[in-house]
Amino acid sequence: MEPTTDCANTVAMTAGAISKVEEAVPMPAVTAAMARGWAWLPAYALGFYVLHQLAAIWGDSGYYSLCYPAAGLRFAVLWRRGARATGWVVLAELIVQLLDGVVAAAGADWPLQAWGIVRPVIGYGIAVGVVQHLAARANGTRFATPPMPLGLAAVLAPFAAVALSLPTVFLRPDITHVATAAELVGSLAAFAVGDLLGVLLLAPPLLWLIETFVQGERLRIVKPRAAMLVEAGVVLTTAFATIWTLGRIGLGHPAAPLLLAITWIGLRFGRAVAWAAILVSAVVVLPRTAGLASLDATLSVHMGLAAVAVVGYLAGSFADADIRARADLARRDRLLFQAERLKTLRAMSVAVIHEISQPLSTLAIEARHLAEISASPLSDPQELHEGAQLIERKTVALATLVRRLRRFGGRAVDDPSPLPVATLLDTVAALVHPEARAAGVTLTIVPGDLDLVVLAQEIELAQAIVNLVRNAVQATADRRVAIVAERLPGEVRIRIVNARRAEDAPSDGMGIGLLVARTIVEAHGGHLHRVDQSSTIAQSLTLPLAEQQS
Amino acid sequence: MSTVGTVYVVDDDGDLGASVARLLRRHGHAAEPFLDPAPLLAIYRDAPADCIVTDVMMGDLDGFGFADRVRAIDPATAIVFMTAWPTTANAVDSIRRYGGLDYLEKPLDEDRLVAAVMEGVAWSRRRRANLTRTAGLSPRERQVFDLLVCGHPNKVIAAELGLSPKTIEDHRAAIMAKTGAAGLAQLIALAE
Repeated sequence: MEPTTDCANTVAMTAGAISKVEEAVPMPAVTAAMARGWAWLPAYALGFYVLHQLAAIWGDSGYYSLCYPAAGLRFAVLWRRGARATGWVVLAELIVQLLDGVVAAAGADWPLQAWGIVRPVIGYGIAVGVVQHLAARANGTRFATPPMPLGLAAVLAPFAAVALSLPTVFLRPDITHVATAAELVGSLAAFAVGDLLGVLLLAPPLLWLIETFVQGERLRIVKPRAAMLVEAGVVLTTAFATIWTLGRIGLGHPAAPLLLAITWIGLRFGRAVAWAAILVSAVVVLPRTAGLASLDATLSVHMGLAAVAVVGYLAGSFADADIRARADLARRDRLLFQAERLKTLRAMSVAVIHEISQPLSTLAIEARHLAEISASPLSDPQELHEGAQLIERKTVALATLVRRLRRFGGRAVDDPSPLPVATLLDTVAALVHPEARAAGVTLTIVPGDLDLVVLAQEIELAQAIVNLVRNAVQATADRRVAIVAERLPGEVRIRIVNARRAEDAPSDGMGIGLLVARTIVEAHGGHLHRVDQSSTIAQSLTLPLAEQQS
Repeated sequence: MSTVGTVYVVDDDGDLGASVARLLRRHGHAAEPFLDPAPLLAIYRDAPADCIVTDVMMGDLDGFGFADRVRAIDPATAIVFMTAWPTTANAVDSIRRYGGLDYLEKPLDEDRLVAAVMEGVAWSRRRRANLTRTAGLSPRERQVFDLLVCGHPNKVIAAELGLSPKTIEDHRAAIMAKTGAAGLAQLIALAE
């Protein structure tokens, strides 16, 4: 089989000879890349072997050891490389088990034994493949938003492996060393619980390590806030204290308090903190199971822990997915706002060109005159100076206008920062002025107190007010529009007022500008509403004033 | 005939108005900038100009409205429009309806502006002189004059005004005497 030979070759090379080969024979780049692409397989085989042996230390005989960390590695690799890698993972695990002597090639039952090794991998592959496929199709819903699919696959994979083992279990119970139906169910439950614990404890940090160091993605370490850790610690400790107290008074050791605590932690702080809490719980609980006399007690504790891990990890994943979905929504809003700004700019462009041609006339006349008189020895220095000053003033004004327009059309959005309302209205006036002038509309601006400051994203807030002013310019009956800022307790009110026409004139747009303005104002914690009076219409927006920094 | 004279520049962009006025002063005109047409209209009767250079788009009173108001006071001044919003309709209107001499786009072509103002001053001088020569005509003589310069023969004018051809003949002789014109061609030139 061609691929296998290739694989064997590349495995041999990755074993240490890559650099030598590259030095001796100039290997084609493709082969080198392939060698790098396959390096994970022997690494996986080695890791699987080590973790498998580790499980055997605390495990019971056979494959039903509780907390099976090798499953975590298997899941992480399959999740990273996709369901297509299932075949290679199967191959690696078979080779490991053959070398380890678990599968005796000469034995009569070797096909069934081999199937026993292969089928959990296939179960994992199916779970990963189905979840990744569905997540790609259901793009946009909370359950398809990362890291939710990962959490779901991590929970489903062990159950898929259990489901695949059912036929063999019923057909050849002797292989699994179980005699009764009760034992059968018990062994399957133990299998599921062990795999669940292994996957949920090991796969998240492994995937994080792979992302960070193998894929070279940006190191994402979110420094947990102290308050967050304290709260999580208090919640977790309370849960353990409750369980301990219940145990002391002879009411057993129910998992429910821990379950509630971990759900709380997951929903509040996300996946990373939830995982840490699961790890703490496992470290506290697992060693205690060693001393338990009966298998049913052990299984019960493990099942409780597995439930805690499943719920905690899913809650954390859901919280993360929710944050991410919100961020995606905000990002999409930003793109929409920018598109709308570009549309506005295009609509204003004719007016802007005319606005620019005005100072250009002055510049041309003055520059030409300066060139003429500066060539003459009799030129008046005062005249030269005044001409140069005028040119500079005009150039600065033009440059400011161009800069404002470019910033308005740009994609870059600054973080919210304290913004004086007077500055904001100045920007708005500069942007709208050309169009107002073209429409023969006079803008009157009353900026209010100079110390009125809001916490705002300047471009977007300017966009909101520009939209409102443009609407007013189109709608005004007396060729006048007023922009008035006033102080209210704790907030500022900005009104855009125009005289009302006898009949409601049809407007050019579809009202997108108004919608965008409302969304932006509300994102700034403000409100926008229309105030109709007998002779005027006002769009009135209120924004919270920024906290005075003393 | 001298081609420099009194010129007013009206533009609501003060820098541009002042720049254009300075430019025209350098070409020998007595040029004065105005930010707003209203103050200019207030003093215009006492200080008429040979040529007015005006922006079309201004605040309360636009260039065309301003031109109408000026024409009502002084039919002999030349008007040059300039605009940052050139449209074909406005260009046609500025010449046909508002008696503009030229319609200049911003950014301004300096040479064309200077040439237009010179032409305007010359035209205004001529027009003012012609108006002086026809100023002494009686109302009836004015009616006859207007029809004469359209090229109508005496008989047609007589029929139009309900007078006899002989009377028209008399009026025509009086018009010639008052304006000092040597023939119909010179009369038509006066009506330009």
